[in-house]
Amino acid sequence: MGVNTCILLVVGIIGAIFTFFVNEKLGQGPVRSSAGLSLLVASFFLLFPHSLDAYLVKNIPPVFIGSSFIGMVSTRLLSSYLKIGLAGIIFASIYLNTSLFFNGYGGALGTTASISLLVVLSLPVLNLRGNLTNGFSQLTKVIYNSRNRINKTDAD
Amino acid sequence: MNWRKIIRMVSVFLILIIQVLFLFMIFKEHQHFNFISIAVVILLILLLITHVKAPLHHDDHLFEHVLVAIWIPVAATCAYYINNGLHLGAVFAAGLVGTIGSFSPSINKQSTYLKQLPAAIYCGAFIGMSSLRVANGFLFVLAAGFFAGIGLVLSKSLFHGMGGKLGIIAFTGVVIATFFIFIITKYGR
Repeated sequence: MGVNTCILLVVGIIGAIFTFFVNEKLGQGPVRSSAGLSLLVASFFLLFPHSLDAYLVKNIPPVFIGSSFIGMVSTRLLSSYLKIGLAGIIFASIYLNTSLFFNGYGGALGTTASISLLVVLSLPVLNLRGNLTNGFSQLTKVIYNSRNRINKTDAD
Repeated sequence: MNWRKIIRMVSVFLILIIQVLFLFMIFKEHQHFNFISIAVVILLILLLITHVKAPLHHDDHLFEHVLVAIWIPVAATCAYYINNGLHLGAVFAAGLVGTIGSFSPSINKQSTYLKQLPAAIYCGAFIGMSSLRVANGFLFVLAAGFFAGIGLVLSKSLFHGMGGKLGIIAFTGVVIATFFIFIITKYGR
């Protein structure tokens, strides 16, 4: 994995988490958080097009705005920074391997973001109430209980 | 089953189809990369699990007001002009239109109508992010805006609070408009 790929993955995490922070903690609302932050990033690269490698200048703004859509999620569905960061990584990974067929379609980034978010929502370990540690403990309980049940049936 | 439920089911199914199609195209173009193909299949399975299991939708069947959706084509045209007319870039265009739109509730804080505009404006801005290869004129943008507007009206109770909802509505609008233009140019003459 190249340095540029790693940077884009980090941008994916930052975009999602930072938007969520501005949205929920600073109370700016989902649209202003996503659009405002993306406008800042896009303006920076518009004013300083040679500040970074040409590949990064071209790809950081779309990765940022796309991952910022993940941060627009309401706390009712997702409230953990860990899960939002993970969705950001999944988003950046799909973006890096996205199909040429849908290249240039408006809303493609949003579709990628929605897929990443729904994928994270499906992960059972992360979805059991609370944080990751709690999720693991719940999973261990489930496995432990099912083993006990199997042992009991064997004994019977 | 009443017609509201039918519309709801069709809308959810259409969004699912669009997501599956999106992943399928990645799968098709990366068939020779085993790792990517496997990853896409896993993503697809997890996506389907969420669609079946997660509480993504409201129980009631509400529709967005048409006067809210009317802002989608307006925002789409503005963003398209900034993106492809002024050549300032897709992200800058969407960011600028979305940021300006997000301040619309500040005009009158009592108005419930103005509170609903930022989402519609931002959704329209995504259509304006389309490149010239896909959107070759303002007519296409207006058509995509019209279809996305229908999508926004129908999906008020669906995928509530899900990040990327506006994007997928915009994408659906663009895909349907492209499909119609393809049909018209192929069979219309």
